[in-house]
Amino acid sequence: MRAFSARLGAAALLLTLPACNHDQFGYVEVRAVPTTASAAFYLDTVKIEPLKNGVAIVRQKAGTTKLQTERGGQLALLCDIVVKKDRITTVTISLLERPMRCQCRNSGRADQPQSCIS
Amino acid sequence: MFRPRFGPRRSAPRIVLASATLLVAVAVMVPAQPAAAQAERNATTDAITPVEEFSRQIEQLKKTFTDLSKKIDDGTKSIDGLTDIEKARKEVADLRVAVSALLGAVADNGDVARLGSKARERADEKLKAFERDTRFKPAEKEFLIAQWYKLRDETDRAMTELGGARKDFAELLRTLQTNEDFIDELVQIRQAQKAIEVIRQLTKDIRDASDQLKKLIGGIKPPGV
Repeated sequence: MRAFSARLGAAALLLTLPACNHDQFGYVEVRAVPTTASAAFYLDTVKIEPLKNGVAIVRQKAGTTKLQTERGGQLALLCDIVVKKDRITTVTISLLERPMRCQCRNSGRADQPQSCIS
Repeated sequence: MFRPRFGPRRSAPRIVLASATLLVAVAVMVPAQPAAAQAERNATTDAITPVEEFSRQIEQLKKTFTDLSKKIDDGTKSIDGLTDIEKARKEVADLRVAVSALLGAVADNGDVARLGSKARERADEKLKAFERDTRFKPAEKEFLIAQWYKLRDETDRAMTELGGARKDFAELLRTLQTNEDFIDELVQIRQAQKAIEVIRQLTKDIRDASDQLKKLIGGIKPPGV
């Protein structure tokens, strides 16, 4: 019985450990201008819900994620987004520019101009 | 006596087994018909379920908002009295965590937003279905359509209000993180007094934002209520 409890405890611990990592979430705010234009955006390969009034705020696991759009039936990288725990990273996409371009509210380092940080 | 190993007597258990199988099959099939009908009935009577679920989630959300806004109020109060920059920084960081939790509840990919979209879709489906429906008298049909329009409008309104909350929480989170970064920079250049002033101004801003949010949250009305 004691051995069973120990095994159960170990299993519970194993289940809990990955859950701890999942607690690391931040936010990505995607803004599109003009707000009337429409385009599909993806964070890595997950499609973002259609933007409402040109804005979507998405809860995202902390780390670096790729903001992508559809181009010629394939996903095309717009920029990297660095998501930090309990912080918000904002990026604006000008839909009039071809190709579309990210305008980070806060850019990464000079050597990483296409990386938005919070 | 000699009992043949193979022969008619051997087939008796088979008949019993076959009969039993048949009985079980019939027993299973008999309630299968009402179960199917029940499922069909449920699909009709539970059409409102997504709207009710959305409504329940909003109620729960309002409760969470209230709890967390109390935490924010307590946090700002405690920062007001602080002169220790490290403690104040910690309080600001805690506030950011609380605001982040609020934003998470209303994010576009959160449960509430998803339920809202589902409720909206269901109302649209019902309204489309009523266009083809010939079961009811015109007055009855009109009443049902009007009720679904009302639910759809209320769902839309609640979603718009949640959108407003989302925008405000995002703005508050941004204010907190930007000020936190600024305070960090000030501390790095040993400008503790200036950092304290920034924190004081920040608590005032948070209090104002919190008051506005309370009004906004209090105004959110779940559909069907």
